Formats: sequence, structure tokens, C-alpha cells
Amino acid sequence: MDAFKVLEIKKSVYEGNDGRARELRSELKRDGVFLLNLMSSPGSGKTTTVVRTIEALGAEMRIGILEADLDSDVDARTVSRTGARVIQLHSGGMCHLDAEMTRQGLSGLGTEGLDFVILENIGNLICTAEFDTGASRNAMILSVPEGDDKPLKYPAMFAMVDVLLVNKIDAMGFFDFDMEALRERVARLNPDARVIPVSAKTGEGMAEWADWIRTEVKEWRAS
Amino acid sequence: MHELGVVIDVVHTVEEFARKNGVTRIDTLVLQIGELSSMIPKYIEDCFPAAVDGTVMADTKLRIEVLPGNGLCGKCAKAFNILANEGACPACGGRDWEILSGKEFMIKEILAC
Repeated sequence: MDAFKVLEIKKSVYEGNDGRARELRSELKRDGVFLLNLMSSPGSGKTTTVVRTIEALGAEMRIGILEADLDSDVDARTVSRTGARVIQLHSGGMCHLDAEMTRQGLSGLGTEGLDFVILENIGNLICTAEFDTGASRNAMILSVPEGDDKPLKYPAMFAMVDVLLVNKIDAMGFFDFDMEALRERVARLNPDARVIPVSAKTGEGMAEWADWIRTEVKEWRAS
Repeated sequence: MHELGVVIDVVHTVEEFARKNGVTRIDTLVLQIGELSSMIPKYIEDCFPAAVDGTVMADTKLRIEVLPGNGLCGKCAKAFNILANEGACPACGGRDWEILSGKEFMIKEILAC
């Protein structure tokens, strides 16, 4: 029998992805492409928000959209009606995107001539929080019907985002949603996160959201 | 189910390590998974054979060590297991704690020759 020896590796499994994400982030910086990773649960209004964002910023930025889904191209079709460059990514059952998949999506989309790319991540509040995609900023949408208790249930997601959109505020009257309680819960996990109440349906709050993007893009360019 | 993609990544990392260190045969791979990590040991074990199929690790055994999900109470500074105590400090009942361990997902070591 062979004599085995123990070889210590002591490496975090996420290290490979983290390295690839850092690389992608600096390449995008060099090329002047601001990548926003947009996460949420299914049905929170991500696609409608993306369409509204294109309407608000399309005149001043050249925008591209990466639509990630397990299957289908319904979201890509909806978004392509805005005239923005869009590509549908199928994760084939994977519940999150990592840096390598994001890179493949970006090269499929073609980032040449683009200033701003939104990565519409898979609808999922758990795994998407754990894999760095290489994005310049991370955003999340929580919709009013989901409830103000979500930061308690999915802390990792709320702790890593730069901005939280609270969508469907037009439906506030039908749900017991306490905006102040939500703000407190988010602040406890992530004091730096900006919270912006919006309605992608009526357009309320979208101006503040567009301003946030403008400011972040400017800061990112200057950094 | 995100384990398969991650395990394939693990296999790549270990293959790379083996190549650099002149290892020809890997008997056992030891992973460490925290109780608070989103990786489920059972799923990792289930997809491991698929991930190593056709690689130098095809016959490698997998061993998983589970690391406890411990927290430090922000009120009374007691260290306790977060899962066993359902998120409340057993000493003072506080729910304001900091995670000490349990989020890890590490490639610990290999048994090789």
C-alpha cells in the first residue's frame, strides 16, 4: 500500500471566483463600462424596473442589458422593445451567476460603445448574494408584497447591496408593510445602503433612482 | 441547487494544486463547510461523483468536516451556537450577535502520494 501524506491546501472555495470577479471589474473599469448587478426574488418587478431605467437614462447613456434566467426569453423580448442592446443568458438550472458566466454574457452582448450594463440576475435572494459577479455596484429590489421582514430572513443579501429599491409602493395600501421598520432592519445589517422607495408601474421614485445611478457612475469614473 | 458548479470549481483548484506539487494520486479530499454556509454537505456528496468523472480525482474519496455556526452575543459577549439556540443568546436572550464561524467553505487538505 502506498503511504499517503496529508497536504494542506486551506483555500476558500470562493477564492477562484473572487479572483475572476476582481479581474473582470478592473477590465470593465479600463473599458469604461459600469456594470450594475440587479438582484431580487422572482416577481419583484426587476424587468419593469429595467425598462423604466432605460427610459430614464437612455438619452444620456448607452445601455446594455444581460437578462439571466433559468429558461425562456420573455424578459429579453420585453426589454428589447426599448431599443437597448440585450442578451438572454440561460443558467441551465443554476441559481446564481458567477464572474465567469457574467464575462461570457458580456462578451456575447458586446460591450463596445456601451457606458452602462445592467445584469438582471436570477430571481433568488440566497445564492446570488454569495457569488461576486464582478459588478461595479450591487442593487436589490424588494417589493412591498414580499413584506418588511425579509432583511431578517435573507441577511446576507441585504448586507452586501449598495442600494435597495422598495418597489410596488403603489400597492402599499393593500399590505401591512412598515417602511420605517424595513429601513431600521436594513440599517442594522448595512448602514451604508441607500433605500429608495419606487413604483416601476407609476414611475414614482424613478427620478431618485436615476440620480443615484448618475452619482455612482460619476464617482466610479473618478475613482 | 448551486453545488455542482461549485464542486467543479473545487476539483479544478485541487487538480491545479496537485499538478504544482507533483501529486499523482489523491486518495481523499477534505472539505470544511460551515453550518451557516448555503452549501449543503449532502448535496455536495451527491454531485461529487459527477464533478470528478473523467478527472485525475475519479477515484478520490470525499470527506466533509462541518464547522459550527457560532455567534458572539453583542449584549453579554457570550459565545454560543446560533442554530442550536435558534438565534437567541442562551445567557441573556439577545438576538444581536456577530458571527464568529460557520460561513466557511474551505478546501482543507488532501491525502495523497
